[in-house]
Amino acid sequence: MRWLRVYVGVFFVFLFAPILLVVVFSFNSQRSLQNFEGVSLQWYRAFLENESLRGSLIASLEIAFVTMVVGTVLGTLLAFGLVRARSRWSGSANVLMLVPLVTPEIVAGVSAFLLFTQVGMRLSLVTITLAHITFSISYVTVVVRARLAALNPEVEQAAMDLGATRLDTLRLVVLPALWPAVVAAGLLVFALSFDDFVLSYFTTGESPQPLPVRIWSAIRFGVTPTINAIGTLMLAISALAIVLAIALPRLLGRRESGIGVLLGREGA
Amino acid sequence: MNAGDRFAGRFLIPGGLWLLAFFAVPFVIVVALSFGTPGELGGALYGWYPENYSRAFDPVFLPVLLRSVGYAVATVALCLALGYPVAYYIARFGGRHKHVLIALVVMPFFVNYLVRTYAMVALLSDEGVVNGVLGLDDPVRFLNNPFAVIGGLVYGYLAFMILPVYAALDRMDPALIEAGKDLYGSDWSTFWHVTWPTTFQGVLAGTVLVFLPAVGDFVAAQLLGGPGTYMIGNLIQQQFFGAENWPFGAALTVLMMAFLFVWMVLYLRSAARASQEATA
Amino acid sequence: MRSDYFDEPLRRRELLQGGAGLALALGLAGCGVGDEPAGSTKKVAKAKVIKAQPDGDLVYFNWAEYLDPKLIKEFEKRYGVKVRESNFDSMNGMMAKLRSGNRYDLIFPTADWAQRLRAGNQLLRFDKEQLKNTGTVYDYFAKPWYDPTADHTVPYALYASGILYRTDKVEMTGSWNDLALDSARGKTYLLDDYQEVLGAGNFVVGADLNSKDPADIEKSKQWALDLKPKLRGFSTDDIQNLVGGNAWIHHGWNGDVVNVRNQVKKPENYSFQKCSEGLPLGTDCLAIPANAEHPGTALAFIDFILEPENASRNIEYMGYPMPYTGPDETFAELVKTDPSINVKIEDLENGDQFRDLGADGRRLWDDAWTEIKAA
Repeated sequence: MRWLRVYVGVFFVFLFAPILLVVVFSFNSQRSLQNFEGVSLQWYRAFLENESLRGSLIASLEIAFVTMVVGTVLGTLLAFGLVRARSRWSGSANVLMLVPLVTPEIVAGVSAFLLFTQVGMRLSLVTITLAHITFSISYVTVVVRARLAALNPEVEQAAMDLGATRLDTLRLVVLPALWPAVVAAGLLVFALSFDDFVLSYFTTGESPQPLPVRIWSAIRFGVTPTINAIGTLMLAISALAIVLAIALPRLLGRRESGIGVLLGREGA
Repeated sequence: MNAGDRFAGRFLIPGGLWLLAFFAVPFVIVVALSFGTPGELGGALYGWYPENYSRAFDPVFLPVLLRSVGYAVATVALCLALGYPVAYYIARFGGRHKHVLIALVVMPFFVNYLVRTYAMVALLSDEGVVNGVLGLDDPVRFLNNPFAVIGGLVYGYLAFMILPVYAALDRMDPALIEAGKDLYGSDWSTFWHVTWPTTFQGVLAGTVLVFLPAVGDFVAAQLLGGPGTYMIGNLIQQQFFGAENWPFGAALTVLMMAFLFVWMVLYLRSAARASQEATA
Repeated sequence: MRSDYFDEPLRRRELLQGGAGLALALGLAGCGVGDEPAGSTKKVAKAKVIKAQPDGDLVYFNWAEYLDPKLIKEFEKRYGVKVRESNFDSMNGMMAKLRSGNRYDLIFPTADWAQRLRAGNQLLRFDKEQLKNTGTVYDYFAKPWYDPTADHTVPYALYASGILYRTDKVEMTGSWNDLALDSARGKTYLLDDYQEVLGAGNFVVGADLNSKDPADIEKSKQWALDLKPKLRGFSTDDIQNLVGGNAWIHHGWNGDVVNVRNQVKKPENYSFQKCSEGLPLGTDCLAIPANAEHPGTALAFIDFILEPENASRNIEYMGYPMPYTGPDETFAELVKTDPSINVKIEDLENGDQFRDLGADGRRLWDDAWTEIKAA
């Protein structure tokens, strides 16, 4: 349908317009966000020379990485339990897993903030990471679960008939088949954590603050194009994560791309 | 329960315990604190001060909640109206480039939400880029009104609608649509009678993933809003980082969650039913 | 079956995993427990005098973009320490983080907050002799009202609240009520700050800037509520709002007009008005929290900022006056086309400054503000 194609085209224009603004003006030689004067890398230089902003970038990356690893492990385990177990805890576990997905971030932030301060724990990168992990588990579980549910149980049954233990079967049959979903979920979680603002805002300690928190403080009083440079860099990093999410499963020998896996399509 | 169930059941423990400790328990703390009172130097003291709740029911605050719900409903409606056709196009007509296209749709959402929203401000200011292009004498006041806030919310949460809808569309067997065309004749009838019901779970998931977070959002209203667009998220945030009234903020949080709980239960029932069907 | 053989140790393994998670959490909490939040009244032992010498990295907490990053780099180079920066977006936000137990070495409270922190024994009392460069600081600050012994704070910057406006779009009358001008209807902003708005309201209704009288606050609140329909918004981003053309009239601070002028094609179109009903003045201070872990570095940093060269450069970066004789010329130079933007010592002595309101006063103002925002 022709009109549909036109619509999609227009949609992409509107979708990318603010992004383009961010990227283009990050190269502005003047401080303005309205007038583009000339091309310059000064804001990138300002960012890279600003040690504390660099520290924030590294902090954001560290948090995202740990969140990815721990969240993926916990979420995958949970997904396996939810799909394969018929236990009296399954129902409650399922609910417990789904609620974070639909909780407004401000509630999550408030809860996390109060938990840590009332328990007497000092706010720091650790507290941010703990909060991020908590809210990433559900995303991993949902993605991995869809994949797991689509696996053919007969293969596992066959393996066990041949003498493999449940653990062996898990390790040698299920996990390899699940791998693309795990990778895709992990990268999704990385991107979500890297970009997170509200949770971090509430749970951040003295220093370094993750990038989005620094951006918020700057935004309240007017940004410099350094913020645009940061935004562009963050886009580049996240884009890389997505590209990896699409490409890695292919490279690992799967037919399915990461996107397909993320969305629960049955795969190889 | 057989050995297989027991084996798998143990896998629920790590994730389950973590969520219990870091998600469920904090709620208890929030509720406990909501009955407290502010301490002298900020912070909070526990006690029994239910007046936090009676204050929350002050008629001044009800419009704030209703407004937040209204904005969230509008956001969902717009996300659906704008996002469904895109998902449909990519799923049905994307062909080999499907994955690239959907990745492109999602990519802008990986620019930080704050930076993106601020970019909207720069674009839509009275003397900004868009008004510059339009060149009118009296520039269009895009910003600082409810439409700007809803626009910001849509721009912020659109991906959460598009992805589940796309997943549902992608999973659908195209033969169904062909059969539908034979049966119903027109494209619209086919859509209404075949495609829409089949993808409804995806739409529902998207609705919930957009609606619930949007109600509690405070960034869009802060950066794009006007004096009359105060949302419940702003109110709660202000109690923690403005007024230093943590107990009142906690009470508002509890009330907001109670309100959203109804919708959450409906969604969870539906999702549980759907996942049971999927694993059957 | 071999599966039975593995069931037992597996059960234990799962328990260990789950238990480890909890233990980890509790252990981490244990690390945090015992740290006293900044609200404790533990007095710092005055047995040894803290010298203005680096004793570790500086944990620095300030508004964003409020100190020249080049100065920070030079400090790091000169003393061989790192400056670990984080930002707050409001005084209450700063307080919330202090209250939650974060430990900073250097903070930038406004004078009224400094007064409150000092009264709560949360600021470090330093030995004035340790700072070498305080000679240029205005005499007014030898005994300021918020720190009479002048050994808990050092003044950092001065600011005045008023109205920024477009000279080419509106005719101002010199009053706070210019915010209600019909000619700028829908192009006006109030600051998103309870203290500033209620303070201005107090001036308009003829009350004291820092009034705690519920009747006065009720009237100020009403003034703001009456203003709301004409407003375009509440915002602290006066710079962008003016530069982007969204605002013709903006409640704001004097230094911001300097920043606006730097970014627009026609700087002469932007000016600042001090209002006749009253001029709220403020001082941003440098202070060291009582539980700072590296107060020596903090003192060294303060001394560093006070060096005239550095202060001048900082003024050029921030666009706000600093109360030091010598560097203040730099600001005078910046605003020479419009000297009324400057804050002089006479203003300080005669003008009104925001003061701490005490717990009841704050509650009164906070509640009024919540109603203004929510209505």
